[in-house]
Amino acid sequence: MRDELEKIYYFMKRDIISFSTYKTNILILVLTALFGALSFAYLGSSATSQSVLSMYNMNLTTYLIIGLAFSTYLNQALTLVQKTINPWALEEVLVSPTRLSTFIIGSSIWGFIWSTAVVVVYLVIGVVVFGVSLSVNVLGTMIVLALGIGTFLGFSMIGAGILILTKQGDPVTAFITIATSLFGNVLFPPQIMPPALQAISYIVPQYYFFTCIRLMLTGWTITMILPELLILALMCCIIVPLGYAIYAWCLKTARKNGTLSWF
Amino acid sequence: MQNEYAIQTLNLTKTFTAKIPAETGLIRRRKTTMITAINGLNLQIKKGELFGLLGPNGAGKTTLVKMLCTLLPPDKGTALVNGFDIVKQQMNVKRSLGTLFSVGERGFFWRLNGYRNLEFFAAIYNVPRQKRHDRIMEVLRLVGLERSAFDLYQKYSGGMKRKLSLARTLLPDPPILLLDEPTTGLDVISSRNIREFVRSIVNDQSGRTVLYTTHYIEEASQICDRIGILRSGQLIACDTPDAIRSMIKKKELIYIVVEHISPQQIERMHSLPAITNITENNQDATGNQRGFCLELKSVDQVPSIFDFLFKEKIKLVNFQREEPTLEDAFIELTKRA
Repeated sequence: MRDELEKIYYFMKRDIISFSTYKTNILILVLTALFGALSFAYLGSSATSQSVLSMYNMNLTTYLIIGLAFSTYLNQALTLVQKTINPWALEEVLVSPTRLSTFIIGSSIWGFIWSTAVVVVYLVIGVVVFGVSLSVNVLGTMIVLALGIGTFLGFSMIGAGILILTKQGDPVTAFITIATSLFGNVLFPPQIMPPALQAISYIVPQYYFFTCIRLMLTGWTITMILPELLILALMCCIIVPLGYAIYAWCLKTARKNGTLSWF
Repeated sequence: MQNEYAIQTLNLTKTFTAKIPAETGLIRRRKTTMITAINGLNLQIKKGELFGLLGPNGAGKTTLVKMLCTLLPPDKGTALVNGFDIVKQQMNVKRSLGTLFSVGERGFFWRLNGYRNLEFFAAIYNVPRQKRHDRIMEVLRLVGLERSAFDLYQKYSGGMKRKLSLARTLLPDPPILLLDEPTTGLDVISSRNIREFVRSIVNDQSGRTVLYTTHYIEEASQICDRIGILRSGQLIACDTPDAIRSMIKKKELIYIVVEHISPQQIERMHSLPAITNITENNQDATGNQRGFCLELKSVDQVPSIFDFLFKEKIKLVNFQREEPTLEDAFIELTKRA
């Protein structure tokens, strides 16, 4: 019995030592917990702030269903490129005559299809079970989705690139996740937050994505959301090439240092 | 003029920085040190040659393979693979190569069967769609996995996984193969099968060039046309297995077992000018037999030993000439370096 307990201790010791070497990851976990608590506090507040929700011309259930469905979608997108950088698979692909862009897109495409199916399920449940009323602007929804996917794929490439260097725990993905839940207009409108925090919402693309997608699913027209859509498009145009460049640079650095398969 | 070399390294150099923990005091400070994995390497491997690269752990074998397949960029110098520069013409280099890494199962998808795994790699290696099925079945047949083609990869044994890795390297029909320790971790029979496959199918029948890295000296001597010995990133010997053996052949050793030899005859044998040293070794001697290990100045002196035994009427029961093994050569050469 004592021997077994000692073994358990050594298992735990091994894992603690291993865990403590990933300092970035520890910091991310602490911050995620902290900001997660903040998000739920504001979610509670929004439940009573019906006047703010009236800005979007929808009830709280519709607001939350759309927010939840698409946040799941974007969070999936955020980790798609990371999931493909299994070091063994990465080396095998890199020695083949395959372009980096083909590898990224090819590795991510199924994840997007699956996530789309999950979004559809969310929305169907919303409509059938909760009586959510949707009036979809198909073209507008497609445009907003394309811009959102592009933006988050860009973030995903930045995160994956950093992960290639740090090996575990990438701060970009963690901060994007936090930013999405707190400032992204996912679970509560940023307008209920203090002005200083509201200002942060206006510089994160998630805010524009969630604003636009909600309105495109509830009967608004493209011209009515044009300013937000243009800002989202501009952010997408910056983040996608930036993400690709960072990913390529990190990959090049890891190859140069010979650390590509060190995970 | 067409390049006669399939692989040619030109002053190829790769250095890594490594952090070494200094465990003194409460605060552990890490020192940074530079490790030269490949040091100004100049190596030529001819087209159609099966070249073995030997070296102890950390000699730079895997680093060299990773540089040749463009995974690691060199710090200095370059290499030509099938005439293409590994720095400037990476796509052409990749199209010329099939690479098998020392960890054979990397990159495979455990929940797919062997066929589906190869189908994926056939696509990323640009095997034409209309030829893909035939090519996959062909390479599966070559490595003897056609019956297990539709079994899940996770059910494959270690030997089968390595065979599938070999099949993957052959899939795009490349003119050059880089096989990094293809038999590591395999049992004796699987290792022999892989060696025979490499020698007979890959090299002799198709005329491919193979760079075969291994820890196992006898493995290299069995199948390779030439062998290079790598030590601390430098090539310390490069020749045929026989020539490498002869590099350390400073003395000729023969082992004899004789019957009824008297102490006076042993004295007289000691005084023979052909013999530089005699040690008694009765390992194979029985009854009134005695065994001796004779160190001669050269192989030409062997007849004089027979003459002596004939004149002294000593009955010779056993005679063996001791050849240095490639392992002896390897140890000697790596020590010298």
